[in-house]
Amino acid sequence: MSDLTRRSFLTWTGVGALSVAAMSLAGCGPSASGGDGSLRFAWWGGSDRQRAYLEALDAFTAEHPEIQVAPEFGDYDAYQERMTTQMAARDVPDVFWIPSPAVLTYREAGLYRDLEGAPGLDLSAFTEEQVESFRLAGTLDTLPKSIFSPVLRYNTNFLEDEGVTLPDQLDWDNLAEFLVDYSANNADGRKGTAYGPYHDMPFESFLRQRGEDLWTEDGTLGASVDGVAAWIDWWEKLRRAGATTSVSEQDGIEPAWSQVGDKVLVTFANSNHIVDDAQAFPDYVFDQRDVPAAEDAAAGYHFTYYSRFAMYSGVPDDRVEAAATLMSFNLNSPELLSLVGLSAGAPPNTELLDQYEPDATPDEQKVIAITREINETEQRPRFEAPAGSGSWRDLMIRELEEVTLGEKTVPDAAASFVEAVEGEIAGA
Amino acid sequence: MTLTSKDTGRRVRGAPGAAGSKPPGGRAKPSGGTRGQGLVAHIFLLPWMIGMIGVTAGPLIASAVLAFTDYDLLSPPQFIGLDNFVRMAGDERFWAAVRVTLVYVLVSVPLQLGFALFLAVVLDKGLRGLSLYRSAFYLPSLLGGSVAIAILWRQIFGENGLVNHVLGWFGIELGSWLQDPSLALSTLVVLNVWTFGSPMVIFLAGLRQIPEELYEASMIDGAGRVRRFVSITIPLLTPIIFLNLILQMISAFQAFTQAHVVSGGSGGPLDSTLFYTLYIYQRGFVNFDMGYASAMAWVLLLVIAAATAANFIVSRRWVYYGDE
Repeated sequence: MSDLTRRSFLTWTGVGALSVAAMSLAGCGPSASGGDGSLRFAWWGGSDRQRAYLEALDAFTAEHPEIQVAPEFGDYDAYQERMTTQMAARDVPDVFWIPSPAVLTYREAGLYRDLEGAPGLDLSAFTEEQVESFRLAGTLDTLPKSIFSPVLRYNTNFLEDEGVTLPDQLDWDNLAEFLVDYSANNADGRKGTAYGPYHDMPFESFLRQRGEDLWTEDGTLGASVDGVAAWIDWWEKLRRAGATTSVSEQDGIEPAWSQVGDKVLVTFANSNHIVDDAQAFPDYVFDQRDVPAAEDAAAGYHFTYYSRFAMYSGVPDDRVEAAATLMSFNLNSPELLSLVGLSAGAPPNTELLDQYEPDATPDEQKVIAITREINETEQRPRFEAPAGSGSWRDLMIRELEEVTLGEKTVPDAAASFVEAVEGEIAGA
Repeated sequence: MTLTSKDTGRRVRGAPGAAGSKPPGGRAKPSGGTRGQGLVAHIFLLPWMIGMIGVTAGPLIASAVLAFTDYDLLSPPQFIGLDNFVRMAGDERFWAAVRVTLVYVLVSVPLQLGFALFLAVVLDKGLRGLSLYRSAFYLPSLLGGSVAIAILWRQIFGENGLVNHVLGWFGIELGSWLQDPSLALSTLVVLNVWTFGSPMVIFLAGLRQIPEELYEASMIDGAGRVRRFVSITIPLLTPIIFLNLILQMISAFQAFTQAHVVSGGSGGPLDSTLFYTLYIYQRGFVNFDMGYASAMAWVLLLVIAAATAANFIVSRRWVYYGDE
């Protein structure tokens, strides 16, 4: 050893490094399964959801001792970043949740396995019509793990404090009027709402009420410049009238709920958010209702969002049944639902929802009620965000910054937004 | 044997390694003992070398290749020559990122070094409990780049945060600093200055290498504190100042976490905190524009290399190594 020269040192270093590299590469080849033969399951959320799903996976393993599951969990942003690198390395989990802006992006990357007739996949709880609605462009390669819709959430204590009620027939004009009036007259200096034009789901509902779509069937932006401008303008009138928290007050265009939850009367949200958000302010009782709509709103504007999950295309044939069994457990297991609750949305399996209802918490009852109400409405098809559109909310936030700082007019911001999103999609 | 002053631990003349001492003779053939030390050095280097070749070199080479391609992570990269580099010239956000990063480097690094030097000089006065102060001041350097501190910064500079609360005592009413394009970057500069502990410890070590008798002689000659600081401390500390300058400059060019967390990853408001590395991240991981992101990363590497080289050239004029 004492004869170690610089040359031999470098040689042995190279050998060692190549060994490390070889070992690393061996561990991230195209095989999707975990190193110990277990299935990899990936999902996102907060620590409560992480804990709940870990317990659910334990329950799954107890029910299917022949299938071991390796959990892969992350915060929503971290999850997407990890998926991006896993996608590039073709090292994707066997069963994974799909972030809403990435449904078609992942499909274009060839991540999904066709689930038509997959052994072990139990769709018996769904009608043929439902299964048809799960298909994307006629292919059953993703399934909804949960469903939710846009809602208007409100603080019932704040309404009671002022002795006021929201109008029964809520449209955008009378809501704006109500919020301006509330902000000007309530005794505690609260605002009608937080400044929230960045919200994707109510924005999509607003567009659909105008007869537009956020995304079209052929993978383009469906929103017109006028549609975007009308949406921003509705919010700007509220902001300028002092009916929203200021951008400074809410510390950005996209405020944290914890920052504004006790300062505003109403909030636009997804129907499932009440489950977690209400817990942040246990002194208050929240309720939710359908979003406002004008009497002449386009037919079928309501929509139920399918939050999807999929099986990786790289799952070898001999493991498809195990992966499909895990997906079925997610779709149909009362035990899983009792552990994870409705914080990620209601289950698309209505029988399961009926079964769970007696055990649901008061806030979950509100999720169930609005889910059923919206399920019964007429709904024209909605289309997923095309590849390349993943940054559309960032682009919207940038334009909103320009508007709120007085750097751009609303029509200019709307035009810039449409141009930028179309550019991103074209460049994808 | 190393001799130290009893009171301050400062080295005195004649101690090995003191300023002005030189290794005897030229480059001699290594003795058996030296060879043994070489072996130990190689063994210590081994983990880094293995990591460098096995983990870092691959992505480094890959990014150099990807810089000349259109690569969206989903489909195979397509060779496009210099298009990514040409595209930068017309990319407004690229130039916004360059502007923000340059301002950050040029403002925060001198401020941080100045503050670190000031405190190092204060602490070098043989205070009781010196090690406690040193640890306390070093702590922000360990925490400053963390997500927790960046979140804390959001609270401190928010509309109802600590800073506005204090300013309110003087009748100054401001909104959220982080939502004001003219103030947002300054909060990140302050955050960087606050992490002065690392350069401060290096300065402190440098101050302790300055021979005590130089100060004693100058005091006998009637030099005051300022004169001693300007004519003895600063010149003999220039190699340490230079080292800290290089280290902190490179670190500032690569700042990412603070801006990512404080701006929520957007670089807002209005791109006022869009650091260069944050824009690389956005292009690569949000827009799946990995070829462009790789090209940007290589431009940054070249800029850092050029800035470092320029500093080395200029340093010949102001850095005093004591043996010249």
